[in-house]
Order: sequence, then C-alpha cells, then structure tokens
Amino acid sequence: MSNGTANVEVFANLKLELRRGCLTLAVLTQLRSERYGYTLRKALADDGLEIDEGTLYPLLRRLETQGLLVSQWREEDKRNKRFYRLSPVGEQILELLLAEWQRINASLRKILQEA
Amino acid sequence: MSKTTSRDPKDLLDRYLQAVAFWLPKAQQQDIIAELSEDLHSQIEEKETALGRSLNDAEMDAILKHRGRPFLVANRYLPQRSLIGPVLFPIYLFVVKIVAAFYLLPWILVWIGLMSFSSSYRAEHTSAGWFGAIGSAWGAWWYTALFALGTVTLVFAVLDHFQTKSRFLEDWNPRQLPPARNPNRIPRAGSLIEVVVNLIFSIWWIDVMSTRVILNRPEIRIVLSPVWRYFFWAFLLLALINAVVAAANLARPYWTVVRASLRLATDCTASALFCWMMKASVLAEITGANIPAARALEITNAINLGLAKVFPVVLATGVVIALVDARRILRAKNVAPVQFKEVSAAVV
Repeated sequence: MSNGTANVEVFANLKLELRRGCLTLAVLTQLRSERYGYTLRKALADDGLEIDEGTLYPLLRRLETQGLLVSQWREEDKRNKRFYRLSPVGEQILELLLAEWQRINASLRKILQEA
Repeated sequence: MSKTTSRDPKDLLDRYLQAVAFWLPKAQQQDIIAELSEDLHSQIEEKETALGRSLNDAEMDAILKHRGRPFLVANRYLPQRSLIGPVLFPIYLFVVKIVAAFYLLPWILVWIGLMSFSSSYRAEHTSAGWFGAIGSAWGAWWYTALFALGTVTLVFAVLDHFQTKSRFLEDWNPRQLPPARNPNRIPRAGSLIEVVVNLIFSIWWIDVMSTRVILNRPEIRIVLSPVWRYFFWAFLLLALINAVVAAANLARPYWTVVRASLRLATDCTASALFCWMMKASVLAEITGANIPAARALEITNAINLGLAKVFPVVLATGVVIALVDARRILRAKNVAPVQFKEVSAAVV
C-alpha cells in the first residue's frame, strides 16, 4: 500500500470518528421538530451535513431504543411514513450534549489559537 | 437517449427489500423493511419528478447500488457482535502465538527430527512413499492445530461472555504489576553462578582431562585419541574467558555490544568444537581385564559412532544458541535512551 493510499485511509477513518458524535448531535437537534427519515436526511444535507441512509436509519433506531426518540407510523401523501421526534429524555440529553459540545469546541478553539 | 424501463421497477425493489429482510431479525424485519421501502419510494419519486419520467433500469440499478449490498444494509441495523471482543482479543492473540510457538512449531520440528534421525520411525511412516508420509503428517498437524486453536478460541469466547457480564477484568491492583524488566540487565546471581561453575569446571578439567588417559584402573582403562589435546586446551581457554566475562558482568550487570559479541564468539567456538568432537572419533581405546579385545574395539567404535550420530543435534543446538546471542547483540545496540538510561551509565 502506498503512503498516499494509507493517508487517505487514515484520514477517512479519523473523519468517520469525528463525524460520528457530531451526526448524533445534529440528528437530535433536527428532531426537536417532528420529521420522517427522508425529510430529515434532506434537511441535514441542506445544512451541509450529508448522511447516507445506511447510517441514518440504524442511528434513528438506536436512539429510539435508548429512549431519546419516539416514533409513530402515520399516513402522509397516501403512504405510510415513520415520524420521529425527541422524547422528553432526549430533550434533556440533547441539552447536556450541546453544553458538552460547546465546552469541547471552546477548548479546541483555545488550543488552536495557542498552536 | 436513455434506455426506457423494460422490466417492472417495483419487482426489482421487492427483490431488494426481500434480500435485505433475509438478514434481519424476525422481530424487527417488518418495521425496518417498511421504513426502507418508504425511503426508497420517496427517493425514486423525487428523481422521477425531477426527470419528468419514470426511471429506467440503469437509474434504478444505480439507486440500489448506492444503497449497498443487501447483507451490508441489513448488517448496519444489527448490534455489533463478536466471538471475542476487543477487550480480550489482544490476550487471545498472545495465547494463540504461544500455542503456535511452543506447541505447533515444536510438533513440526519433532516430526522432522524423527524422520531424519529415527530409522524405525522413518520406515514405519514412509511405507506409502515420502509424499504419503508428508501428506499424513500434514493432515495430523492440521487436526492438532484446529483442535488446539479451536479450544483456545472456545475458552476465550466463554471468558468474553463472562467478562461482558461481570467486567472481572476491570477489578485489578496496580501493586500486583510485575517489576519493570530491562532485557539488557544481567542478573548478578546468574553471573556469580557462571563464575563459580566455570572456575570449578576449569579445575576439574585440568585435574581429570589434561591427559589422554582419563581412566586408568585395573578393571578398565579409557584412552582418548591424540586430537584430544586440542579440545582440552580450547575448552579450558573458553571456560576461563567465560569466567572473566561473567566476572565483568558481575561488576557491570548490563549487556554491552562488546561483551555480547564476545559471548557470541565463545559460544560459536564452543559449538564448533563440540561439532568437531562428535566427528573426531575422540575415543581411542577401551581396555579392561575382563573385556576381550574384539569386544573392547566394538564398544569403542560404537561410542564413536554414537557421538557422530549426535552431531546434527549439537549443530542445531549451536545454531539456536548463536541466534539467541545475536539477538542479545541487537538488543544491546538498540537500547532505548530514556527507558534504559541507567544502562549508559553502566556501559564499559
């Protein structure tokens, strides 16, 4: 494996790790208002955060299992769609996560300024 | 011009969803497939609205290909599972290496040794030819390897199961950690023993082995061949050098490149001498009051022949010792400056 390929792979893995937590935060924030999967993905993409379906749907399912989301099947435009929104527990956790993210962000900013 | 749909796109979609459903757990199957189906329909509809027509085969294929292979799509919904988790895996790998190095590799070496030096074993196992013998040994080795590694894997899978539940690995005491080991440090007790053993050996060697007649009693007399004098002086010199090096190690208990190289040189010389001795018909004669001359000659030849047969074992042992010594030199060369900084202070 060439150095270039190895670097691309290393970057891809690190980017994946970096995005993982951010995506959860973005999804929870978007679901302050009710959405179904497809529109949620569009909304995230419109805000510059592309997420593929293979990541989004399992993530939604996991968050629901953890009690952070609630979902409901409902008919819209003659098709059954599953709508998600934050649960009361999810709202509390989101606030905590956002505070933590702000703290990390502030620290990073400081570190970057020092560097 | 794009190709128009020649097959029913719904059929392809159903086939895709069915393939994904196959890998999903029954309890969640219907729910996940309904949601996936809805999402795919939304995507198709959006694209058809943008194009102002139905999707053709290639466009449908592209959408499904982008979604991913059904097994992989289903796999993302499943919890991460492993027989041996990341906590125990490094220990598992360590044990597997030990089993390979101390059980599976020796198994092969013993087989090679038996086939090389035991004529009865060779005769018993080469009745179907050499290829047959190798094939049968290979089969037996695989069975042994599978059984050994399978057992280790099973034990670790059970341990992992209990570790996940009880978290027993998290309960530990830092005070029970083994002392920090410096591979270049020479234990003083070892050096002391080496000095004493080499000196005692030298005295005994001079006392007993300095003449060619090593046993001279009325009932039996053993005489070595003239070549013995070379062995006598060479082994004596080696024992004295080893005693001096061991004394130096006692004073400065860290391997240096110079001392490790000297050890390699003395060990190689000793191995070469041993190899030569095995082949040199070192026993000249055995005579005894009650032993007929022909019988004594027979015994002398049998002992010399026996020594010659041990030659490969001596040679192999010498090679192993030389490799260990060479590794010691490399280790002494690559002393980590921070971890073993005390070594630099001890270097001659």
